[in-house]
Amino acid sequence: MNGYTFDWDVVARALPSMLEGLGLTLQITVITIVLSMVLAIPVAVGRMSKIEVIRWTAQGYIELFRCTPLLVQLFWIFYALPALTGVTLPGYVSALIALTANLTAFMAETYRSGFQSVPVEQVEAGRMLQLNRFQQLRYIIVPQAMRQQLPVILSLNISLFKDTALVSTIAVSDLMFISNTISAQNYRALEIFTLAALIYFAIAFPVSLITSAIERRMQNMAGPGFKPGPGLLARMMPGTKVATA
Amino acid sequence: METVELQKGTTVSDPLPSPALTGTSQVLVSARGLQKSFHDRPILKNVDFDMHRGDITVIIGKSGSGKSTLLRALAGLTEPDAGEIRIEGQTVFADGARTKEWDTLSGDVGMIFQTYTLWPHMNVLDNLTLAPRKTRGMAASEARDRAEAALDEVGMKHHILSRSTQLSGGERQRVAIARALMMKPKLLLCDEITSALDPPVAAEVLDVLRRLKEEDNIAVALVTHDMAFASKAADRLVFFLNGEIAVNTTPDEAFENCSNAELQKFVDAVRF
Repeated sequence: MNGYTFDWDVVARALPSMLEGLGLTLQITVITIVLSMVLAIPVAVGRMSKIEVIRWTAQGYIELFRCTPLLVQLFWIFYALPALTGVTLPGYVSALIALTANLTAFMAETYRSGFQSVPVEQVEAGRMLQLNRFQQLRYIIVPQAMRQQLPVILSLNISLFKDTALVSTIAVSDLMFISNTISAQNYRALEIFTLAALIYFAIAFPVSLITSAIERRMQNMAGPGFKPGPGLLARMMPGTKVATA
Repeated sequence: METVELQKGTTVSDPLPSPALTGTSQVLVSARGLQKSFHDRPILKNVDFDMHRGDITVIIGKSGSGKSTLLRALAGLTEPDAGEIRIEGQTVFADGARTKEWDTLSGDVGMIFQTYTLWPHMNVLDNLTLAPRKTRGMAASEARDRAEAALDEVGMKHHILSRSTQLSGGERQRVAIARALMMKPKLLLCDEITSALDPPVAAEVLDVLRRLKEEDNIAVALVTHDMAFASKAADRLVFFLNGEIAVNTTPDEAFENCSNAELQKFVDAVRF
């Protein structure tokens, strides 16, 4: 261990501040997820529009945010946008805008894929029963697409939760920012960042387990005779064979 | 029995129909000069077609001959390139577009598809009551009563709270028919609804259709390859060939005294 002596007192002293940072991290995560899940619906619908201008605009937006790094998007909104508009946004607001815009792009593609997985005959059956376009979306397409894509949506949300650590670079005092600050003050990077990692893990891992359970449940619903695969914990056991395609 | 044979490429400029080919019923739907192409490939070529109240019209023909496209055009799911469609004498499609009348009369048209189109995230009751509640403002209790009656009609009342994924193929198609009945259609379009079913199950579904025709006077158009049903239940038999109606006759004429070599070949290939 390179003669390193752990100082667990630092961890005990840092924990309250770091949990405070975690609060902000969770706040940013929840607000971003809620906004993105709503905003992604019109973007996904626009992406499938028969009107070319709408379709290309939606696709352009999605590709722009999918094909540039989140950190660049964050910096652009925090540092570059004020130069363009003359309005300086607080770090917290900049973080929310960048993260929401980024997650909306990914979420919209997930929705689109879910929407298109609903058999067209089911939508046409709704049309034959006089349901209008909004009702078809509301009662036939969205509920099925959501169920179909729930594991992907949860995975995106886990990724977002971890990606919020980037907001520390624009002085938003989230878990990562607090950890970095305490680490710099105490020169105890190993203890502090290990604790930060454990906190991130403690939040993300249960969600990952839930995602896995939902995925298996959906596979079980795929039809009679389907043999459910092992759960996440079982798959993590050494020696477990993982089926490939 | 009268047989009407149209030569390939014939354009009927005079909108028939002499009142009813079956002699007793009235024309519910008439289509004249329907044309439709997909990627420059003509699928419907000047098709003239009539349907009568209380008749089952069976449409047969090879894949790609235009049968399903005709059904979809009548249902409003596909827009023909040209031609005219009337329901109860009112023009619902003309000059390449749906008319205002379609908005009101489209409710008279129901369609059942080849694949099972029950919504899998809902139970049978919700599948049946969603449209009447949302589009016609029907109260939940009234919708449930009507759903029970419709399911009773197709012998599926005991499955009212089942999930559609728990039903067999034949049961799903019967529920799909009940769902269409909820909107009280005058015209029911069935696109190969028995093609994925075993013969005994298909016979049950087809019995339901026959009862609807007799009891509710619904006009049924049925695309099928089931010649046994076509010979027993059809009032008219329409044979599509390369986007045209090559033969429009009674099943007896088609099966016993057919003078159309292509129809004879088709019937011999798929019968029984």
